Amino acid sequence: MKHVLFTAIAAATMATGASAQEISLARFFGACEDAGTDTTVTTGEACIIQSIINAADAELDGITITTLPTDWGNYYDQLKAAYAGGTPPDIHVMHRHRVPEFAGLGALREISGDLEAAGIDPADWSPAALDAVSYEGGIYGVPMDVHANLWHVNMEIMEAAGLVEDGRPILPTSPEELLEHAQMVREATGQDYLAADFAQFPLGVRLVLALIWQQGSNVFDEDGTATIDTEEARNAIAAVTQLFDAGLANPQLNYADSQQAFLNGEAAILVNGTWVVDLYTAEAEQEGTGLNSYYVADFPTIFETGATWADSHIWAIPASLEGEEYQAALRVLAFINDHNIDWARTGHIAIRESVITSDAYASLPHRSEYAGTAELAQDMPSSDRYGAIQDVLNRELQAIWLTGKPVADALADAEIDVQDLLDR
Amino acid sequence: MRDRSRSRMSQTQAAAILLAPFLITYTLFLIYPFFRGVWISLHDWNLLAVAFNPDATEFVGFRNYERVMWGRNIEWGLFAAPFWQITGLIGLALSVILRRVDRLSRFNAIALGLASLLLVFLPGFHPGEGGRWYDRRFWPTVGNTLVFVGLAVPGVTISALVLAAAMNRETRAMGALRTLFFLSQVLSVTVVTLIWQIMFSPRQGLIANITETFGGTPINWLTDQQFAMAAIVIATIWWSLGIAMILFLAGLQDISQDIYEAAALDNARGVRAFWYVTLPNLKRTITLVVILQIILHFQVFGQSHLMTQGGPNDTTQVLVRYIYQTGFRDSELGRASAMAVFLFVIMGTFSVIQFIVGREKS
Repeated sequence: MKHVLFTAIAAATMATGASAQEISLARFFGACEDAGTDTTVTTGEACIIQSIINAADAELDGITITTLPTDWGNYYDQLKAAYAGGTPPDIHVMHRHRVPEFAGLGALREISGDLEAAGIDPADWSPAALDAVSYEGGIYGVPMDVHANLWHVNMEIMEAAGLVEDGRPILPTSPEELLEHAQMVREATGQDYLAADFAQFPLGVRLVLALIWQQGSNVFDEDGTATIDTEEARNAIAAVTQLFDAGLANPQLNYADSQQAFLNGEAAILVNGTWVVDLYTAEAEQEGTGLNSYYVADFPTIFETGATWADSHIWAIPASLEGEEYQAALRVLAFINDHNIDWARTGHIAIRESVITSDAYASLPHRSEYAGTAELAQDMPSSDRYGAIQDVLNRELQAIWLTGKPVADALADAEIDVQDLLDR
Repeated sequence: MRDRSRSRMSQTQAAAILLAPFLITYTLFLIYPFFRGVWISLHDWNLLAVAFNPDATEFVGFRNYERVMWGRNIEWGLFAAPFWQITGLIGLALSVILRRVDRLSRFNAIALGLASLLLVFLPGFHPGEGGRWYDRRFWPTVGNTLVFVGLAVPGVTISALVLAAAMNRETRAMGALRTLFFLSQVLSVTVVTLIWQIMFSPRQGLIANITETFGGTPINWLTDQQFAMAAIVIATIWWSLGIAMILFLAGLQDISQDIYEAAALDNARGVRAFWYVTLPNLKRTITLVVILQIILHFQVFGQSHLMTQGGPNDTTQVLVRYIYQTGFRDSELGRASAMAVFLFVIMGTFSVIQFIVGREKS
């Protein structure tokens, strides 16, 4: 009896082993327990991506996908440890800004020759998307979106402050106007004008970066010289700190608290990314929340030329993956590429021209309101120290608005630290 | 005769066999990694690069240590950090004077003298004209870790001692309370930090709600420079109270009831009995708890990493988190290992102190 049982188990294991290709997948975006396999009804990044993965698992013959447990904050540390230990996931999501670091060391597989055969048409990708996965002439991943900083607007508050015209919010065109609008909101409603996470995650950094780029400057150049202690940086920081100094915005709110302030109707504007558009839309449709009339605006041009911080989520395959497993991994990426419209439902900018020009895409909630964002998208120069540089900027900017460190000292320290990182 | 020698042989063999699992595990998972860590600290060693090309390391001698702990034009001055150095000088004077008038044992005098000497010596280093530390953040991070230890250890020790003294009774209610207070200890750091992040939240938190009921403005505990360190210390005290409390309870139960009865005849009850009977009899337990806590809390990581991300402005950045970031975010394993060796030296010092104190005859 025992013998028969063992044989049966062995046979079953071999049968599944032969017919199904196990694909391990690592991603951030958070967990979603009951995402289901219907990719068209889910809401929010975590559930939309998980429903696409579940659907791929169900629909792709001979492929089973295991989503590995990962944590947002330590994702890249986990990923690096997995690569260093020789056990990377078969496919994983990552940011455009990390490509130089991972591809530069030979961690990622170059896939340009195999895309067409897998049913992925790189010619359909927008130029920005192709750029996001390109490194030294090769293609190292499949792009999924372009995401950028937006201004999320509570129209009720703006209306009360007289900052609405033709159904659109009137947004500032200069630092002086920014302060003026903030005062108008305070006088009319008693609420804060602007909220954002200035205290933990680097959302405040991205806001200040955009204001620096709007003046044609940057924090370091392609040759690896830090240029942080500049007039442009001072102007950008002053535009933000004037709101804190006048008590019209609170620098101490973190991500969850600043979002809650906006949803409670305690702030007219929330500076946050494209990834929350569908969540806030759903929130605004509910009765009894502080956000009843929601609008999504492009990041306004407060200095000379328009610019907003942007990045891309892309999917990559480790260089070590070979043969049938590699083919299976490509099929999963093709499936995700096919569901670009579902992912765009989050609020992210789609990467396939055929999707961008479709009616389904144009009719997504609020999409037309921030149609200019794709043009404004910008990021720091590429560097394999991107993460560490961003942390330096975050620390020094927080020092300015949370601990009162003089701007000159903070910028000087940031420049030294970033230069050290670039020189290492 | 032959039998005896055979049994003796087998005894040695048995000892070897019984010890082998421990020795092998210990060597494999502690001794080897430790020396490997020291070895890595002498190299320029990129975590990811080495994974793809094992030859991508470069021997750099002590450069990692220099880059982390030293700087350009570093000078030493007696009044570079007046507060600490003067405190150190006072401590030095006290240790000499108190030893002279015989108010301090030789051991304690040497300990106080050494600690004071370090306090005079170490803060005296500073960058001179045009100089700078190579790593601007390392020493402030060490300082933050010391502040954390300096707050958490007395916090845990005193509250655990008070709780233990209050609950040292054989009633069912006290048994239940003891279990309750110990419960927090079994939680993992992720759960503890999650609970306290909610507690400290200025919007939904219990503390904010209480403050608001009394008409105050809620404090942004985790993002305010003045409160962030206090916040992670409070969470840590709540979390690590249990073990210290159990140790104190064990110590308390060792104190004979006769002594209390004798003290009661001399009219020493309650607080006086605690001061004159309990404390002196608990001396060894207190020393043990304090040193164990020091070694434990130097390794603080989760509370800072999960609750404040080291912020605001690095005020809660601690050594292990810095090591972790250097090793994994920046992939600079050599540099990270150099810092880890530094941490090992500090904790090793306290272990040696514990060893010496433990052997000292009272």
